Amino acid sequence: MSSRRSRSRQSGASSEITDAQITDLVAKLLRLIPELRPSRSGKVSAAKVLQETCNYIKNLHREVDDLSDRLSQLLATTDSNSAQAAIIRSLLMK
Amino acid sequence: MRNLSSLKQEFLRKWIKGLRKYNSQKKNMNLLERKKAIKLSADLAMASTRNKATLWRKALVAKTSIDESNKNDISTSSQPKKIRKKLTNSSPLCRKRRRIRTVYKAKERVEASFIAKKMVQKRTRKLKSLLPGGKSMDEACLVDETLDYIESLRAQVEVMRCLVTASELFINPSPP
Repeated sequence: MSSRRSRSRQSGASSEITDAQITDLVAKLLRLIPELRPSRSGKVSAAKVLQETCNYIKNLHREVDDLSDRLSQLLATTDSNSAQAAIIRSLLMK
Repeated sequence: MRNLSSLKQEFLRKWIKGLRKYNSQKKNMNLLERKKAIKLSADLAMASTRNKATLWRKALVAKTSIDESNKNDISTSSQPKKIRKKLTNSSPLCRKRRRIRTVYKAKERVEASFIAKKMVQKRTRKLKSLLPGGKSMDEACLVDETLDYIESLRAQVEVMRCLVTASELFINPSPP
């Protein structure tokens, strides 16, 4: 893995995410994101960790959006006067 | 990770409370309004769990109150944008839009370590854009905020998934 020691010449560079932080992130997310498991050399690059984390969050956002869609459609079934629909509606809306 | 099920319980309680509140405020919402209400109450519920003063929680609460007032706003779409801009500019940690670009020698620019560093910077920016209030976070707290946010987001998704699939099955039972 390439060295991440910043050169003194590069001014204006914002403080970066440290290796320790990346390792911490990987340790905590390993269970959730299987892509973070080191494949060959036993090390995962920081860029890959960040990318997989971003993808994971994006997927969660998408799922929330999809679930909200489905729920709004369920609750909109005012035509169906089935007992079941009434129960759901009274649970969530009253 | 801490007790996920207690997090989910707390979320479920608050979410249903929020849903009922929205419904009592405005009956007969159309599909889009209802979806927005569902999302807003879910985000608010998520942000108010655990009572931790994380940056993403504060930002999410601020965002949902903006979205809420925009939802009820009948004026044109230009107004919501104005309100959102005001919020980011007032943040004390907000960085200037135009970044100071350092000039690198051509030889430097192709080195593997340089490219790797730029990739990390790029991906860090992307992560910040995904977190609520991420733009004004510094790298020191970014990882902790991300982990806490992911944990809460997971709880939100799992509860919603359970509720929605159960309700769907309940209302439309699959034929035997």
